Amino acid sequence: MSNYLDLSIKEINNLLKSKKIKPIDLVEEAFDRIEKSSSLNCFITLNKEAALKQAKELEDKEVDNLFFGIPIAIKDNICTKGLRTTCASKMLENFEPIYDATVIEKINEKHMIIIGKTNMDEFAMGSCSKTSYFGAPRNPWNESKITGGSSGGSAACVSGRLTPIALGSDTGGSIRQPSSFCGVVGLKPTYGRVSRFGLIAYGSSLDQIGPITRNVEENAELLNIICGKDEKDLTSAKRDSEDFTRLIGKDIKGMKIAVPNYFVSDIVSKEVLDVFNKTVETLRNLGCTVDYIDMKYLENVVTIYQIITMAEASGNLARFDGVKYGYSYPNPKDLEELYTKTRQLGFGDTVKKRIMVGSFILSGENAKIYYDKALSIRDDIKKSFDMAFEKYDFVIGPVVTSEAYDLDEEFPDPSKSFMDDVLVMPVNMAGLPGLSLPVGFSPNHLPIGLHVMAPRFEEAKLYQFGAFLEKELNLNLDPRGDKNE
Amino acid sequence: MSNYKTTVGIEVHAELKTKTKIFSDSANHYGKMANTCTNVIDLGYPGTLPTMNEEVIHLGLRAALVLNCEINKHMHFDRKNYFYPDNPKNYQITQNRTPIGVNGYVEIDTENGKKKIRIHDIHIEEDTCKSIHADKKSMLDYNRAGVPLVEIVTEADMNSAEEAVKYLEKLRELLLYADVSDCKIEEGSMRCDCNVSVSKTDKLNTKVEVKNIGSISNVGVAIKYEEERQIALYEKGETFKEQTRRFDDKTMSTILMRVKETGNDYRYFPEPDIPFVDLTDEYIKETKENLPMSAEQRREVYKEAGINDINVEKIIQNRNISDYLNKFIKKINLVIASNLLLGDIAAYLNKTEMNLDQTKLTDEKFEDVVNYLDSGKINSKIFKEILDDVMESNDSIDKILDNHNIKQMGEDEVIDIINTVIENNPQSVQDYKNGNERAIKFLMGQIMKETKGNANPQMVTDKLTELLNK
Amino acid sequence: MKKLSKEEVLHVAHLARINLEDEEIERYANDLGKLLEDIDKIKDIKGYDDEMMISPVEYNSDLRPDVEGKMLDYKTAMKNVPHSTGNFVEVPVMLNE
Repeated sequence: MSNYLDLSIKEINNLLKSKKIKPIDLVEEAFDRIEKSSSLNCFITLNKEAALKQAKELEDKEVDNLFFGIPIAIKDNICTKGLRTTCASKMLENFEPIYDATVIEKINEKHMIIIGKTNMDEFAMGSCSKTSYFGAPRNPWNESKITGGSSGGSAACVSGRLTPIALGSDTGGSIRQPSSFCGVVGLKPTYGRVSRFGLIAYGSSLDQIGPITRNVEENAELLNIICGKDEKDLTSAKRDSEDFTRLIGKDIKGMKIAVPNYFVSDIVSKEVLDVFNKTVETLRNLGCTVDYIDMKYLENVVTIYQIITMAEASGNLARFDGVKYGYSYPNPKDLEELYTKTRQLGFGDTVKKRIMVGSFILSGENAKIYYDKALSIRDDIKKSFDMAFEKYDFVIGPVVTSEAYDLDEEFPDPSKSFMDDVLVMPVNMAGLPGLSLPVGFSPNHLPIGLHVMAPRFEEAKLYQFGAFLEKELNLNLDPRGDKNE
Repeated sequence: MSNYKTTVGIEVHAELKTKTKIFSDSANHYGKMANTCTNVIDLGYPGTLPTMNEEVIHLGLRAALVLNCEINKHMHFDRKNYFYPDNPKNYQITQNRTPIGVNGYVEIDTENGKKKIRIHDIHIEEDTCKSIHADKKSMLDYNRAGVPLVEIVTEADMNSAEEAVKYLEKLRELLLYADVSDCKIEEGSMRCDCNVSVSKTDKLNTKVEVKNIGSISNVGVAIKYEEERQIALYEKGETFKEQTRRFDDKTMSTILMRVKETGNDYRYFPEPDIPFVDLTDEYIKETKENLPMSAEQRREVYKEAGINDINVEKIIQNRNISDYLNKFIKKINLVIASNLLLGDIAAYLNKTEMNLDQTKLTDEKFEDVVNYLDSGKINSKIFKEILDDVMESNDSIDKILDNHNIKQMGEDEVIDIINTVIENNPQSVQDYKNGNERAIKFLMGQIMKETKGNANPQMVTDKLTELLNK
Repeated sequence: MKKLSKEEVLHVAHLARINLEDEEIERYANDLGKLLEDIDKIKDIKGYDDEMMISPVEYNSDLRPDVEGKMLDYKTAMKNVPHSTGNFVEVPVMLNE
């Protein structure tokens, strides 16, 4: 079998243009790789038949853009018309959407080829993709380790070089955290940058779809495709069109960077801190200034995040009731039983707990005590970032507090999965863009990422920064080792 | 019994007259085959998001303005969470914290003069599915899911069934004439829920909510029924729990649906999928200035034009007639015009089961007819004769009169003939002036002979008398 | 660690319309207790200002013109419906009406 999928997208594009290869070569190679790496459990549903058919059809078409014929993997909470979309839940085990998400329409317009739907935490609730009804995916760097989550399947898929690109979604770190664990580049765009129409909602005011790729430039290129104002999403932003790669290659000398003290406090493990400190040194050597600052409320972010997401989720997931679609408890004796048993048997434990707590949070007077107050503090968190960005170009920190842990390790504490994302949640609170960039390895040779946060709609600057650092570090991020030699 | 005081508060849901739904662009149509006016948003599909229909904001604002409300210029929507099959997302998007209008009022006429019924708030929300119930199953039609509504909530300001009926009639008139809603209770585009309680003291007693009342007059019946039922219970020394009852129009009574649990727990929170909607001062001003003419304004115009009170109310009862009549304000004699519209033309439309716009009656023809009647060129007997042609043929009124061989002469022509007859019969003129009443009959006969019967006799008499007395 | 009573667990389960077996009630009593303990930490946060942030969006809603768009044909609309009768979606009888 060929190794075209190890090439950069630009190189693949040139081969396609010069007719040296056909889209079907890429698709067959992707499915071959998926089969050989089936233990990674990256996919819930493969789109093999349709993908091969589409690849054949593309042979008659002109290669009109960079992503033409490129295999892509889609997180399974993004609706694909006629292609099963499960949210990794029994509730939607047999659910075939009757419409395409806006990002899927954009991907189809560019003739990318959807290879399959990737594994994830059930309804994106979790931080290691272990809440999936279809079993957890495995980390390509070490299959006994977690991929992170909730976009674990997408991150592992790109990391394992099964497809060069994937889409994930990020409510409180769900793109960036697995990207860090798996050694790939993941971006959570500014809230409103990418249409959420067709993304099955978890926390509506935090969710955002974003690209997961092998390197920064391809990430920027993919964002170029999926971004944009959508009339179907009132929260999507109207912006002048821009090329997110436009600053890539430019020097980052003189840039001012802030590190909140909380992000390097004792919540962070030594293996992560070592890599982070080394990165700070590198940045200083590159001519950046790095200051350590205090930012208010960062230590409260998990609490605020829990309240907002669980409350919003309790509403968003209320529609799964056995009436219109999805799992429906057979022969219920009455309406109440249809509801309560459909939801008892259709949802997994984590989902049930979170929507129960979410209902509690909004119940009666609790709404004021918890939800309203959380929204007030959320506003303060946003303002403290606004203040930081008055003085600094970027705020940085580690992505996760530790390296990827063992898949078998059980955490009885239901808060653990929230704590995993403590460093990346603030960005969702404030609606900022955040980039997860691999910057080193732990002594166990597991990837460690850097989290870079920028002011809203400054993705191009994030990519400039990320690409410059990526080039400087020049890490080998292929978990299979030096396959190319 | 008479020492009990009744207290009534009313919640009205009115569907807005838009082409599409509030949060999706599927059609807002009544009476289509079940589940054929939907899209993924109306069905509550996972991943879908609401959009915001501008006409809903426009009509909602109009409604708030005619109800004299203070306007919330910085509006947001909220989710109201409750599980029910007619609620596709199991939350309804509504306005809880920032209703479009608050602190308004509607003025009604009572025996003791005018009374203001205060409006607590008016908010915009989405309608639910329509459900049909069989023995063990209910059937859902999503065509109505997402139809825009305004909910109008009064303070508990009404103290009798009559006041409640007057309020609803007035409210209906306001919404209808502001072009906000059809307000067809029978089709469900206006729905009323009443909260009724009775008490011997100023302290309010337990209230009972009555739903599903199919007409305004039945609201009165339902309230009277509840007054009597509740008083009878209190007189027996019994009490009851807050409850919801439905009106049954077969027995004209109310039937218990459910006893209310301790407070509804709707778990409201701000809808994150819909950013703020800001109403600018200019927009509010413009909407106010462009409000369609209200029923009250129309009454004034009609009364000023000399139309009698009974006919004025008849016109106001029929929005189509009122709109038609309004096209001719200050152009023609509105008394004659309204008599035609309420009389012969109404009878014709009734007989043929048509609307005005389905007939061949053009504005020009209507103006001619009214003017001819006004000037005496034709009389009502002749109008009746030509009515069918007026409504059905493309011919002008003159042509129709021609076809019927009716040549009613114009005033000028008639005056010419009168003058000629006067000149040619000086003796008869002298006789008339000497007090011989019979002389005028002779002159009349001469004139009618000259006009070959094509002049309006009343006009001839009037003009002749006028000219003889000069 | 906080643990919910059986009644409290059943109350929140009812709000979320989730049936629980006895074994689940016991298990959730602990987990929900822990989560509630977490969110209770918000009560200790002081010094914030009252302005609320509903969403990061700083622009207003775009209003859509009132023009009819494409609708689903009936078959597509009913494609995923578990139970239907004729043109209708079917559910166990709704008692509240």
